[in-house]
Amino acid sequence: MTTLQRRAIQGGALAAIALAGVAEISDPSRQWYAVLVGIVPGFSFILAGLFAWSLRPRNRAGLLMIGVGVGLLAGDAALRDRVGQVSTPVELVLDIVSPLWAVMLIHLLLAFPGGRLVSRLDRDVVRSFYAVVPFAALLAVVAGYPVLGQISQPVFDIKVPAAGGIYAACLVIGSVLVIRRWFLGGRARRRSMSPVFWPMIPITVFFLLSTAAVLRGSVTVLATVFPLFLVALPIGILIGLLRSGLDMSSVGDLVVKLSGGLAPEQLQPALAHALHDPSLEVAYWLPEQEWFADLEGKRIDLPAADSERAVSILGDPSSPIAALVYDSSLVEEEQLVDTAAAAVHMALQNAGLQVQLRAQLEEVRQSRARLVEAADHERQRVERDLHDGAQQQLVTLLSSLQVTKKEAVKYSDLETAKLVDANIAELKEALHELRELARGIHPTILTQAGLVPAIRSLSERCPIPVEITGELGDARLAPPVEAALYFVVSEAITNAVRHSKGRSMCVSLRRRSGLAIIEVSDDGVGGADLSIGSGLRGLTDRVAAVGGRLVVKSDKARGTTIRAEVPCA
Amino acid sequence: MRVIVADDSVLFREGLVRLLSDAGFEVVGQASNADQLDGLIESENPSLVIVDVRMPPTQTDEGLVAAKRIRRQYPEVGVLMLSQYVESHHALDLLSQSPDRVGYLLKDRFADVNEFIDAVHRVGRGGSAVDPLVVSQLLGRKRSRDLIEDLTGRERSVLSLMAEGRSNDAIAWALKISPKTLEAHIGTIYSKLGLEPAGADHRRVLAVLNYLRSS
Repeated sequence: MTTLQRRAIQGGALAAIALAGVAEISDPSRQWYAVLVGIVPGFSFILAGLFAWSLRPRNRAGLLMIGVGVGLLAGDAALRDRVGQVSTPVELVLDIVSPLWAVMLIHLLLAFPGGRLVSRLDRDVVRSFYAVVPFAALLAVVAGYPVLGQISQPVFDIKVPAAGGIYAACLVIGSVLVIRRWFLGGRARRRSMSPVFWPMIPITVFFLLSTAAVLRGSVTVLATVFPLFLVALPIGILIGLLRSGLDMSSVGDLVVKLSGGLAPEQLQPALAHALHDPSLEVAYWLPEQEWFADLEGKRIDLPAADSERAVSILGDPSSPIAALVYDSSLVEEEQLVDTAAAAVHMALQNAGLQVQLRAQLEEVRQSRARLVEAADHERQRVERDLHDGAQQQLVTLLSSLQVTKKEAVKYSDLETAKLVDANIAELKEALHELRELARGIHPTILTQAGLVPAIRSLSERCPIPVEITGELGDARLAPPVEAALYFVVSEAITNAVRHSKGRSMCVSLRRRSGLAIIEVSDDGVGGADLSIGSGLRGLTDRVAAVGGRLVVKSDKARGTTIRAEVPCA
Repeated sequence: MRVIVADDSVLFREGLVRLLSDAGFEVVGQASNADQLDGLIESENPSLVIVDVRMPPTQTDEGLVAAKRIRRQYPEVGVLMLSQYVESHHALDLLSQSPDRVGYLLKDRFADVNEFIDAVHRVGRGGSAVDPLVVSQLLGRKRSRDLIEDLTGRERSVLSLMAEGRSNDAIAWALKISPKTLEAHIGTIYSKLGLEPAGADHRRVLAVLNYLRSS
């Protein structure tokens, strides 16, 4: 908008005040209170609107207030009488245009405090009001009762039913939308709407009371002075604008907090507090993945514009630092959001780097888990192949050797029978070795019966006594967790038998606060070390792959204890 | 005796069927999965089924699950489980449901035809058969306070044969001792281990195995 246009609007608004003032004062038949009722609401809207507009030139709220004020004045009886004496066409225009003040008021209430209609429904409805209300006014004019726009004229008293009906419908629908906006909005929305919402309640009550009075046929003082209550609205709006100034001081608090050093996880609450929007979220940009994520590195999809949420991208849009996602009512506090965002810029950049790191770690963790899982599957597959292939074939061969031996005996060929017997013995030995090999690759008892039976099976074949304690029971854990814990016990037992010189071992299994805890201890000479020996090292990796940790304590006095803790849901 | 054989390997099944037929069993059906087995039991009314632990589709424990179900649904049908591995867990799992008409053997037991046929007979006639490997593993298990070590060699042999599910006559015959001597041995074993004397033959299998596994 050019300066000239601006000056023209400002001048026009002031001219409207002057004209209405002159018209009212110069009418000797008017009582002093009628003069007040006629001009005060319009004056208050125009003056507050001019002030708001100069304070926030980009905000359309000021313009709308000026519009409401001018509309109110245009409907003023004294002004219209005076205009009517001068020019009938001008009066006609005023009759048709002046009712628009009510539409502009609804527009203002739906758009406050930003002056922009955010929801599509609001936009469509307000647009249709702008078309329909002048039409209703035209109907009234044609019917000979050009009084639609007068505020002191209750809608139910309008003599043309069609015009009155349309006008009343607009007022009702508009009110419903305003109430809906209040109830659907979050805390931030209600906070920003409160300067106009609360004044609307007494205004509506007085409006209904005065309407009832007029309908009863008694024009009371209440009905007469009702328009004066409208002054509450411009006052509320001015308070709202001044409060936005106060909000800036909460950004000041934010800056003070930042100078004290804010941890990344404190940033979001601090921003939410400064912007009075508890629903505010900070989304960090991950340049590698090219998506936004929260502090944990979990992906966040930014909401589409024009919804209930609004988004501000911080930094260069092609490689942003972060995005703020907040209640759309804050859109109207653009300056506040920008200031707060500028204040936390550096802190967000740091936090963003941390998020990137966490996301990378998460990816590595997942790929490691996948690797281990793939290896487990491969082990199972190999074991199955041995079982269904070599082992099965050897057992079948065993049965046919039995048949051969029988035949040989039948034909008294004892020499051959003896040879076959030797073959059978060798085959049994081979089967035994193959079985132990397959069991080492993947113990089927683990998939068939679970961790505890599998560990018992290990202990039964262990050359030193193994005591098993604990309360894991028959509960099954996730297969990767069971496999990790099984191999921990298996490796620990093997190590103890080979190196510890201990005389007994103890395996304890527990479940505590979402963790499966397994402890394998021996009474040997210690000396186990995570940093040497690929066995223990491999176990650490295996346990870490399922999100757990492995601790090895080993000393001469107390032997070796290997403890694994793995999360189990 | 009417027998059904369930194993997903045709070759193995055929070897087994031949062995059983030669020993005088009547093989009335062959199944390659648990569903077929169920149908055959319904139609053929067998005295005994011989089931592989692992069968299709998952090749994990279908046979085991089927065996347990058969024992619940058809208590008069004997079940002999065969497996490439033997685990004390599965043995006790099967026996603790009921120690009658149940056996659990390593597939390699073929190698000793007579032993194998003897086990099949035992299960078919209502007794039990536990693989010697399960028993020897449990018996050889190292314990912190080992009462087993107090047993003499002869007593240990008696204990393992008891745990395998053999009858007193069979044990006496196998060890070439008189039934009287055997009963004396058994009495000593019970008192040395602190076991309550449990009924004869297979009834004591569970008690002995449980003792060996938990002590």
